[in-house]
Amino acid sequence: MDELILAIEECDLSENAVCAPENVNELFEFRTPIIEILGFPITRLVFLIFLAGLLSVAIIYFGLRKKATRPGKYQLSIESLMTFVRDEIAIGIIGPVGIKYYPYLMSLFIFILIGNMFEITPFINFPITSRMAIPLFLALLTWVIFIVAGFKRNGISYLTGIIWPPGVPVALKPLVGLIEFFSTFFVRPFSLAVRLFANLVAGHVMLSLLLTTAFVSISAFIAGDISAVKGLFGIAWWALALAIFMFEMIVILLQAYIFTLLSAVYIDTSINVEH
Amino acid sequence: MEELKGAFSLIGYGLAAIGPGVGIGLIAGNAVQAMARQPEAAGMVRTTMFLGIAFTEALALIGFVLFFLA
Repeated sequence: MDELILAIEECDLSENAVCAPENVNELFEFRTPIIEILGFPITRLVFLIFLAGLLSVAIIYFGLRKKATRPGKYQLSIESLMTFVRDEIAIGIIGPVGIKYYPYLMSLFIFILIGNMFEITPFINFPITSRMAIPLFLALLTWVIFIVAGFKRNGISYLTGIIWPPGVPVALKPLVGLIEFFSTFFVRPFSLAVRLFANLVAGHVMLSLLLTTAFVSISAFIAGDISAVKGLFGIAWWALALAIFMFEMIVILLQAYIFTLLSAVYIDTSINVEH
Repeated sequence: MEELKGAFSLIGYGLAAIGPGVGIGLIAGNAVQAMARQPEAAGMVRTTMFLGIAFTEALALIGFVLFFLA
């Protein structure tokens, strides 16, 4: 993030159209720790991860604390969110057994939603899900859960049911088995993580570059360093950034939904294996 | 060669985006058609549409990640 500030200071609008640091990775790295606890440097990123965890616990705790018969607005919204995850995702996809996985899916949904929301929250402006560690960890958690659920429910026939779907000719069994094994146990968790990660990276890069450029060009225009036409460009960048803000709101909701939905679908395919 | 790498990865990402772009268009178009023909099944169609989009999109996203890795 320090490099982004450097990029703002060194940005020369007469040469570049958009202010950007040398390497895009700089937008996602925080090197200077805020404090150090027991030798662990707490950077801004670590702080935000803990904040997201605490917030997701707090939101559910305060939403369900009173359980009033006539719920207020806050309790109502939390409850309808939980009902949505329970009825549409857990029970809707997995079936009646899905109620067992509902707490996991709910915490996944809330945590990813808050982590994504940080992207457009003023003064935070950094989606923690745009660091590969978070989506990858969540995807691996889903991976472990669907494998354990499959073996627990179907025994060893889970493996054969997954890698040989019904109706495969004997001659094709080795090939199909290899492809299905690879796609179920390797591609699935990877693509689940990458989907969330890449969407948030793209959003963060777009927003930060556009807003930086808009800020630099508008402030240079006010200081009188550049012509009025270029100042107008700054306003255009800013308007575009606002439009992308709106678009990112949809992406944030949709990605949290899709991650939870796909986790449910993967659990469902390992519980209800076709024999 | 080193200075061409950025250009190549840009072209690679562009190529990777073609297929999923067409695919997502087909999925969304057919989902709209299905919802228009049978509005009572709209909820189910929407869930399936998102699933299809998520699977199709993965290819473009892998291209996007490779673009950064290259």
